[in-house]
Amino acid sequence: MTSLEVRFPLSSVSSASPLSVDRLLAEVSEEPVDGRLVVGDERVRDFLVAFSRRLLKPDLARRHPELGSLGFFLRKAELARAVERLGDRPGSRRSPRGLVLHFPPANVDTIFVYSWALSALAGNHNIVRVSARSAGAAETVLEALNDVLADAHPAIAQTQRMITYDRDEATTAALIGACDLRVLWGGDASVNALRQHPVRPLTRDLAFPDRSSFATISVPGWQAATPAQRRAAADGFANDLYWFDQAACSSPRDLFWVGDAAAAQVARTEFADLLAEVVAQRGWVVDPAMAVEKYVSTYGLAATGAATRVAFAGNAVANVELSGLDDLQRHWLGAGTICHITIGSLAELAPAIQRKDQTLSQFGFTMPELDDFVTTLAGRGIDRIVPFGQALTFAGIWDGFDLLHEFTRIITIQA
Amino acid sequence: MSVFTLAQPDREAQLLPRLTELTERHRARGAAYANILAAIGHGPGRTYADTTELPWLPVRLFKTHELKSIPDDEVFKVLTSSGTTGDVSRIYLDKEAAAAQTRMLGQTLQAVLGPKRLPMLVIDTTAIIKNRRSFSARGAGVLGMITFGRDHVWALDEDSKPDLEAVRGFLAKHGDKPFLIFGFTFMVWLYLYELARDHGLDLSNGVLVHSGGWKKLVDQQVDNAEFRRAFQADTGLTRIHNFYGMVEQIGVVYLEGPDGNSLYCPDFADIVIRDPETWEPLPPGKPGLVEVISTLPESYPGHVLLTEDLGVINGIDDGAWPGKHFSILGRLPRAEARGCSDTFVGAAA
Repeated sequence: MTSLEVRFPLSSVSSASPLSVDRLLAEVSEEPVDGRLVVGDERVRDFLVAFSRRLLKPDLARRHPELGSLGFFLRKAELARAVERLGDRPGSRRSPRGLVLHFPPANVDTIFVYSWALSALAGNHNIVRVSARSAGAAETVLEALNDVLADAHPAIAQTQRMITYDRDEATTAALIGACDLRVLWGGDASVNALRQHPVRPLTRDLAFPDRSSFATISVPGWQAATPAQRRAAADGFANDLYWFDQAACSSPRDLFWVGDAAAAQVARTEFADLLAEVVAQRGWVVDPAMAVEKYVSTYGLAATGAATRVAFAGNAVANVELSGLDDLQRHWLGAGTICHITIGSLAELAPAIQRKDQTLSQFGFTMPELDDFVTTLAGRGIDRIVPFGQALTFAGIWDGFDLLHEFTRIITIQA
Repeated sequence: MSVFTLAQPDREAQLLPRLTELTERHRARGAAYANILAAIGHGPGRTYADTTELPWLPVRLFKTHELKSIPDDEVFKVLTSSGTTGDVSRIYLDKEAAAAQTRMLGQTLQAVLGPKRLPMLVIDTTAIIKNRRSFSARGAGVLGMITFGRDHVWALDEDSKPDLEAVRGFLAKHGDKPFLIFGFTFMVWLYLYELARDHGLDLSNGVLVHSGGWKKLVDQQVDNAEFRRAFQADTGLTRIHNFYGMVEQIGVVYLEGPDGNSLYCPDFADIVIRDPETWEPLPPGKPGLVEVISTLPESYPGHVLLTEDLGVINGIDDGAWPGKHFSILGRLPRAEARGCSDTFVGAAA
């Protein structure tokens, strides 16, 4: 069996190396100093708050803006609100699940921290498998966690582990066989592969597999918007589009223009100009390899007839006109590829939505319009509807799950 | 009769009407190609003032889509190439196209081999064509060349070890007159060069034709210049012709000229180097992406292709042969998404 590299805590209670999986499981399951962890445990809160402060320090936030969002997410008041939202009350109490095992995606640097932090806040013992390929922000996160550990209660180091190990079935099986909840992020194939390993009878799964996401603009909403609002919309959309090279689950692939076709055409032209300005202003460039990727994928859409028009605005933006709602694109087509389609109403869109579809980022719709859309969807798909610019903003409710709820169980009490 | 005769202005004047005709032909005979042209704004009957205005297809499209201009029942041969990522180009040829590609390849190689078939030393092992299951791009490449030689001898045994006796036997029999040596660049360097140097083999009557790129030799710090210098100094081999080609443009090889520096285009082909930001054609000396042009593809729309190779034009009508002459500088890396749907291979283990 392969040996494990502990990335956090670095000053592990056991400095024995190499660490075996059995040893790791034994260590992490020990009862911590000052008693077992509880939901909203003060020791965990203190640690997360210290970590949040570290992340919000200007040097760090400048280097990795996404860590700023994470720091914000973990502020003291936010944590208190999250715990409060769990709604412990007489007769209904929340309890930690036990040992939670996290398999985060390899390439999105910071998502494992959200998943882990909420699970820790829920009072769980956690093992997070950090990819050996992790880089950049993930390394910074691990450094920051280890930095703030010095002042933390020893229970943190005792109950929380972030580890890296080489591809090894036996290790994965042993970890999975010991956990009370496994959190699986990644592509469908990796989620399914991890699911092949048996769990204990009471163990639950929380899976975040491949998802697809869209954006939509209300044409009347666009017409009613001020120039400043329109510019802000283009700006927000650009963020949603280019963050993670448009390859995140929440990155929009298609853009629906909802309204009168002629008016949509006018709005589209203006939007395209604004988007080009934003992209130019930020100095975003798409490298030649990515540009070629986009030519291959968009010409491919044209070849099959899924696209009726392919037009590049420099390497940064590829505008694709889709033939119809049957040709919605859910796969990655290269950073900065927008598949446009004009439809009369959101209701027309509903039948094309699938369970796999996650985020709809929108501009210019009213709350009742969006609410009606959800009614029309009747459960087909879509887990979140957010304004432009927030497609990739992580929240405690993700993929339709309230994570803190998932990380706890309910004990009902009747006297 | 050489196929390296056309100066650049004459070449473009001859190619342009033929390429425009091919664009129309493929549009009329292939829905996928017609759809692409329509989507990128190249309508029927459009005229082009210059070959650089012709619409190109990204070469990888042949890995992701079926692009052909012949009906299924006329498909005589499907050529495939394995890419580094495992996906495969599929190139459809009818009988005529298959014959044409061999004929034109033959005519091109005649420029350096002469009109008669020469005894041929293959720097490879018969194993790569015997084992059908592992039949590789390398195997296909060797098979494609083998028709241009005779009395073949394989320089490696079945275990891919250099077969000194076989090579010695070949040289004893044919070494006093011109003979053909063929192999992939890295194989030729790893197996033939050292063998010949260490055993004092005389290759001075050889004509070496090789291809495959320098990537595998980067570690050994061998480039084209060092390759040529070493062979000449240690084995007497001076007639060395690298070539550049791809299955998607079958029948065309861009052949290193007698001056030994540059690749030249046969008369039925041309290249354009494009700026990967503006996609405008670049003048000599400016590196960019290589677009390959040829009038051979009649059965599939491969007459104007944007490759993922980086190259530079070294000169126009000022080299050993007429036309543009160029060098290949390397390959564009494959773009990678860093999204969360990326498979976590390690964890899936």
